[in-house]
Amino acid sequence: MASFTPYAYIQCPCVDSVPGSRSPDGASTPTSHSSPEDDERDFDPRSPRSNYSLYPIEYMLYCEDCHTVRCERCVTEEVVTLYCPSCLFEVGNSSVKTEGNRCTRSCFQCPICIGPLSVQSLESTPAAPEPSLLSADHATATGPAGPWILCCSYCNWNSSEIGVKFDKPQGIFAQLSKLRSGYDNHHSRYTSSGDGDTYPTKRDADGEPGSTKARFASLKSFYQTQMSNENPNSGLGSTMDYGYGSPGALSRIMSLYSGNTLSSAKPKSKPTIMREADTTKEGLFPAKLDDTSVMSGLRSAGYDGTATRAQVNVQVEEGARFATDLWPIPYVLRTKRTKRCPSCRHILSKPEAKVSNTRWRMRLIAGNYIPSITIKPLIPVGAPGGPTTHLLTPVKPVQYLLTFKNPIFETIKVTLATPAVTPGRFASKVTLLCPQFQIGANSDDYNLDEVLKDRDKDPQRKRSDTTGQQVEAGKEWDSGRNWVSVVVEVVPSSIQIEPKPTILKKLGEVDDLGPLREDEDIVEIPIFVHLEWEASADQVTGKDREDKETKEKKELAYWCALGIGRISPE
Amino acid sequence: MSSSNKRQSVLPKVPSGPKAPVNFGSHVTIADSAILTGSHTINISSESVIHPRARLESTYGRITIGRRCIVHERTHVGAPSSDDKRGDFGVLTEDYVVVEVGSIIESGNTTIGEGCHIGPRVTIGKGAKLGKHCTITAKSIIQPGEVVPDYTVVYSNGLRRTDKRGLEILKAKAQARQIEILRRLISSNPAKFKD
Amino acid sequence: MSRKPAGVRTEYIETETGNKVARKANLVGTQHIMLGGKTVIMADAMIRGDLARTAPTSSSSSSSGTAPGSNTAVFIGRYCFLSKGCCLRPRDASTRARHADDTPSAFTYMPLRLGDHVFVGESAIVQAAAIGSHVHVGKNVVIGEFAIIKDFVRVLDDTVIPANMVIPSFTVVAGQPARIVGEVPEGGHEAFELRELYRTVGNNPQPASV
Repeated sequence: MASFTPYAYIQCPCVDSVPGSRSPDGASTPTSHSSPEDDERDFDPRSPRSNYSLYPIEYMLYCEDCHTVRCERCVTEEVVTLYCPSCLFEVGNSSVKTEGNRCTRSCFQCPICIGPLSVQSLESTPAAPEPSLLSADHATATGPAGPWILCCSYCNWNSSEIGVKFDKPQGIFAQLSKLRSGYDNHHSRYTSSGDGDTYPTKRDADGEPGSTKARFASLKSFYQTQMSNENPNSGLGSTMDYGYGSPGALSRIMSLYSGNTLSSAKPKSKPTIMREADTTKEGLFPAKLDDTSVMSGLRSAGYDGTATRAQVNVQVEEGARFATDLWPIPYVLRTKRTKRCPSCRHILSKPEAKVSNTRWRMRLIAGNYIPSITIKPLIPVGAPGGPTTHLLTPVKPVQYLLTFKNPIFETIKVTLATPAVTPGRFASKVTLLCPQFQIGANSDDYNLDEVLKDRDKDPQRKRSDTTGQQVEAGKEWDSGRNWVSVVVEVVPSSIQIEPKPTILKKLGEVDDLGPLREDEDIVEIPIFVHLEWEASADQVTGKDREDKETKEKKELAYWCALGIGRISPE
Repeated sequence: MSSSNKRQSVLPKVPSGPKAPVNFGSHVTIADSAILTGSHTINISSESVIHPRARLESTYGRITIGRRCIVHERTHVGAPSSDDKRGDFGVLTEDYVVVEVGSIIESGNTTIGEGCHIGPRVTIGKGAKLGKHCTITAKSIIQPGEVVPDYTVVYSNGLRRTDKRGLEILKAKAQARQIEILRRLISSNPAKFKD
Repeated sequence: MSRKPAGVRTEYIETETGNKVARKANLVGTQHIMLGGKTVIMADAMIRGDLARTAPTSSSSSSSGTAPGSNTAVFIGRYCFLSKGCCLRPRDASTRARHADDTPSAFTYMPLRLGDHVFVGESAIVQAAAIGSHVHVGKNVVIGEFAIIKDFVRVLDDTVIPANMVIPSFTVVAGQPARIVGEVPEGGHEAFELRELYRTVGNNPQPASV
């Protein structure tokens, strides 16, 4: 069993909201999302829905206007920059629209192992030189000459295996797509082998446009002529125009939406018969029922010559069956994105637009607004008197320290609540020894060295080491200037699967005696955190300005899921 | 640190077993801090390079390194295997073999074919037979006794394919050049191992 | 085996610039290794400084060659942390023979550069061309030759990064061979800071703060 690191996940309030139901002005007031009936409802971190709302604090953003946390699922995103992850070149929005979301320079991934491909001269040395070095060499004219191939430095695949060579080391994408569109026309792969079982295949005779792109283009032009023939005054037929702007199309759409009123008013136009594409020139792609070429291909290439499911899935176009059908994969572009609050549309995070710049113009992360929670065993593993394994022994009480660290410059009052037993089949008992406490404010000067120096002199710091201390109920275990540790006691349940005693059963309750499910042996505690602090007046914005002098009380509440540890199976 | 500034290297001694009887070819480059231990003979053929901290152990059988091989640092050629049976010899690598950083080749009739490239942190089990010009990518494991055909590439956690590049001659040339450079970079001290 | 019997032999050598180098670290060719300061090198970490860029052969050595620093093999920034058993080595680049006569001078070692706050996990092998700042390299990772890792990248344990791969900023990579599996969240940037970790090792380590 793998080692286990305790975790604290925060539930994003978006789990409760139904899309569209959030009122814009209601959201701008400081709200705790828990209405009275929410308090009644328990939160089960194991329910399948919870998976989509629990996040580590690092993943959460914080909206200063709505005073609540936001997760990456509920924020709205806007693309700032598109770039290729391999050459790190920025790609313009317009070229993405025309060329697609892939790098159009020379960045490719290996179709066999998805490793990066580099451009090499066929006559070059095998040790992979950098493409940049190659092109530099090329400029001096004494460097290696073509033909050029794409090579994978990881699995040693190269493009000559599928018969692809390039004339120039630059602009491979354009060269490849040119090769590719012309490829299937003239390519007759499994026909020329000397095996006795090959038949001349239809593929060559027809000269069908092979690639999806080419087929799409011919289908499009065919149907465009069909439609313009049918309705010549609709002005169809120009490229990239589907005719929605034309008056004829508009009336057609109007008739769709307004029921029969329009069409009944007008006499029905005589239906012209539209013919479907029926030749390969028009883009028809007949199913290949003749499998002889495939069979002979299998016979000659064997199992190793076929493409795996995973390899086929990452191909740009579908239909590859043999390793020789696999083409280099142009890199998919990546993005830099701005994130906005879903309700008030304020920007929560905004990166610098340039690819090479790793700074952020704005980054409202939850870690700067709400206390972080760290979990560790009170007595560390291996310490004298402590547990010997990382697994929890069933029915043996174990204590954990929850440390809350305050990032804001105000004192926070924290109230915690947990159910007495954890939800799920294996109910462990949970006791919070100190459910209410205050965390001191973070200091103004954020000099880490200073803070660390002060820490040892801190008068509040009462205990330096944890051994030999008695755990007292209702008291903080330890505290510092801006952090507090409290003890939570857990009595792990046994994870033996056995029927419940009849006396404890509710009416009609059925035992769930299925085998142990994934991660069901983890003790996960739902914990409700309620924060209360007083924001100074200058932080108060907008409408709440009326009582400027007094400090305003703020509160925030959310559920957390604390993963403590795994229960040992015996 | 003032004294260590003058030092060329900070290389603490490692406890090593008995000095192995060695047999070097001509122009062998072997770093001072390479470790050659064991009771059987260790043969290193001409123009091969042994990096610092490479460990060649002949306790479990004779070790033979072919010509123009490169054995990188922290490798363990002739490592003990889980079972105790000994072969006729320990490890035999043919010519132009590269064993990269941190790889382990277990002892016991283990043969590495000509021109094989063994990537970083690879484990080659006891008695495995690698054909000519195989490439074993980083962190792959070859099971004991496995026979790997010529030109095989082992990648991505044990997948296999056949290398169809046909670049053996170029590769050998490049390796010769690399050895040329390494000979100037690594301070060789074959005499230390000979006595 | 102690060469200096005087005084207690400490575990680390601490330099004026705050580097903490374990006595049990294996540093080869120290004159070619540049440490930016406050870097921790743990026991059994190995740096191959001897694989430096070679000066061009005697015929053309007049151009560059012996200038100090020009043949530094490994540059390491500030607050880097090299864990036990990791290995940093520059890789040989066959800078494709410019001269038609394939002289070995064209075959040289390219320097390895690490930015600031780079964590290199246990038993990781780094042969990259460059690693940016704020990079976390997990345990048992192998980074192939001439890989370029940009800033704020997390390489998960047991990853194999193939040669020549470029890893863009704010990504999480894993797998053999590596592929991008995720993004570093906005709130996760501070986790790359290694100042705290630096303090917890050395001859008089400080306890980790809360």
